[in-house]
Amino acid sequence: MDQLLFAVSTIIVGVFGCVAYFYFSNILLDRIYPASGPNAGANINKANAIRPWLFVLPALLVLGLYLVYPVFSTFLLSMRDSRGDFVGADNYIWLAGDDKFRESLGNNLLWLVIVPAASTFFGLVAAGLTDRIKWGSVAQSLIFMPMAISFVGASVIWKFIYDYRGENQGEQIGLLNAIVEAMGGTAQTWITVPFWNNIFLMIILIWIQTGFAMVILSAALKGISEETIEAAYLDGATPLQIFFKIKIPQIWGTIAVVWTTITVTVLKVFDIVFAMTNGQWGTQVLANLMYDWMFRGSPDFGRGSAIVMVIMLLVTPVMIWNISNAHKENR
Amino acid sequence: MKHVMYASAAALALSAGMAQADGHLKFAPGEGAFNWDSFEALKSMDLSGEKISILGPWLGPDKELIESVVHYFEDATGADVEYSGSDSFEQQIVIDTEAGSPPNIAIFPQPGLAADLASKGLLTPLPAETADWVRDNYAAGQSWVDLGTYTGADGAEALYGFFYKVDVKSLVWYVPENFEDAGYEVPQSMEELKALTDQIVADGEVPWCIGLGSGGATGWPATDWVEDMMLRINTPEDYDAWTKNDLRFDDPKVIAAIEEFGAFARNDAYVSGGAGAVATTDFRDSPQGLFASPPQCYMHRQASFIPTFFPEGTQVGVDADFFYFPAYAEKDLGKPVLGAGTVWGVTSDSKGTQAFMEFLKSPIAHEIWMAQKGFLTPHKGVNTEVYTDPTVAKMNDILLNADTFRFDGSDLMPGAIGAGAFWTGMVDYAGGKDASEVAAAIQSTWDSIK
Repeated sequence: MDQLLFAVSTIIVGVFGCVAYFYFSNILLDRIYPASGPNAGANINKANAIRPWLFVLPALLVLGLYLVYPVFSTFLLSMRDSRGDFVGADNYIWLAGDDKFRESLGNNLLWLVIVPAASTFFGLVAAGLTDRIKWGSVAQSLIFMPMAISFVGASVIWKFIYDYRGENQGEQIGLLNAIVEAMGGTAQTWITVPFWNNIFLMIILIWIQTGFAMVILSAALKGISEETIEAAYLDGATPLQIFFKIKIPQIWGTIAVVWTTITVTVLKVFDIVFAMTNGQWGTQVLANLMYDWMFRGSPDFGRGSAIVMVIMLLVTPVMIWNISNAHKENR
Repeated sequence: MKHVMYASAAALALSAGMAQADGHLKFAPGEGAFNWDSFEALKSMDLSGEKISILGPWLGPDKELIESVVHYFEDATGADVEYSGSDSFEQQIVIDTEAGSPPNIAIFPQPGLAADLASKGLLTPLPAETADWVRDNYAAGQSWVDLGTYTGADGAEALYGFFYKVDVKSLVWYVPENFEDAGYEVPQSMEELKALTDQIVADGEVPWCIGLGSGGATGWPATDWVEDMMLRINTPEDYDAWTKNDLRFDDPKVIAAIEEFGAFARNDAYVSGGAGAVATTDFRDSPQGLFASPPQCYMHRQASFIPTFFPEGTQVGVDADFFYFPAYAEKDLGKPVLGAGTVWGVTSDSKGTQAFMEFLKSPIAHEIWMAQKGFLTPHKGVNTEVYTDPTVAKMNDILLNADTFRFDGSDLMPGAIGAGAFWTGMVDYAGGKDASEVAAAIQSTWDSIK
């Protein structure tokens, strides 16, 4: 009951506070630079120059508080040790020499190369194939469904797919091992197989993201003007030629946006690794490594923050490129 | 036969007690061998309206057990105690305390983590007389005081942690019926244990069930193995030096202990499911193999809490029993026992919180859980007659009669090692990496946090 009251009063104070701010600050501005009297013209110009800033100011402050301040605060934290004493670049020097960090960086790179490419590719194929068939929408919703599952939920599902039972521990309940055994192979502990376990974890994210890529790309495909395709037909182009030479070039911008969006998701991947292996067996990634140092055992906010800075440095360029690309698309 | 009679008598007494218990109290006040005086004494405190939140690592059956104890406190004082469990306790408590929204009391499975929070000023020291109380009332009291004394943010040493619920780790669980059927004897020395292991393999069976899986904490059961082995091939002094890193992790003595563990866990013929399954099998599932028919394995080395994860209705002492994980007869190291315990610390002080910590000293707080299952205590003031099965009492004897008692080493190491690099290292080792390579990696992490 207390919380409800608190929430309601917060909303009321918030909404009315905002309205009051805009209303009164506007009046105040008009008082300072009245649109009448001897300098009316100059006053109107001044007021008009200030007014937008007045309205944007609250948003800027909030954005600053929630987006810019944490970056600086993290950067400052990354130069402290676990006790909070200033140590300069020590944490970064440690990072450079840490085996687990190198392993994480390598794995992240692997994720970065494979997951966006595979998701976009499968999404494109699914979009292209389901675009013009009758039950396409059914197929699309099936492919899209994993998007609705949380990463951890998906991991739990896939844990059962990769499950392994030892030789005398009864039948394999893992789907993958059941299939392998039915085909005459021997069951494997999939999530411990060096290198390949990374791929097995990536498959989960690809499974989730393909639906996303498909939906966006399918919308783009639908937006292609019919004339160009008809013209190609009349010129005797095969369906494959139409797809690769007419359609793809026209949606190239969308593909790039999908690709980069998934790239950003991949750089932040944490949940899947945490739920499946917790970075053991050589599957560590940056975000999970950060979590380990930040929260596990004796927490070391300095080292955790240093890893966060690395992730941020990696994400930022992709993000900028992604946003500018999306802008171009909208124009 | 005698055991069976004891057990059924105890079960009868238990069910009779439950039938008459008023409300949610498991045992009716005033009945049985409990120290009801200490329960009555609680009633002098009026804490109605006080809320006390407790965060601990216990979930499932253990959660019900701790709540059954808590109910007595609530019943006597009128306080409202809320226990919540988390299987990522280690992370949760760090987040909660750093975020400024800690529970009143935290139950640490690792003194290292408690020490860490204390050094950051996130724990409140216990009242000064508590240390004397522990020294006087706990068996080997000084060692428990030492384990709960940390350096605070102000640089002063004080008692921050109170031990409640202790585990003995050097136990091997087995099913007596299976041993009888196969004609195996309980081994008295490590040499005999190894001979028995080979014997079982020669008979075409699998001797061990080992599982290292534990969600985000995967690997810890292996650290227990290594610690037990450390105590069996090296001196207790070496062990102490090891937990402080005065003895380096990549020292040949430590590597030898890791390899002693590997002799069991990395041998496909020795472990159920083969060595490949060791690291991925959940430790909660792995004892199930003992009870399968035909048995998937004959022995399972695990701490005293493991009966919680035995199949429903398993009677310890009848369906399952344990023996002491033996020491080498040829080495002159006595009978070392590895143990652990949960240490309770105050993360957010209040009147009710102090009263609850005081309650933990009362015999009744121990006896309620003792009378159920899986509870050992060094508290000398409790009535051990409340143990419903004699095997747990036998376990308490192991605890009290050890030549050497040492606390779980990984819990004494800094968190980044004991709850991080050591776990990962053991998972890597179980997966086939070289012991010296793994030890060197752990040592390099340790060097980096000094």
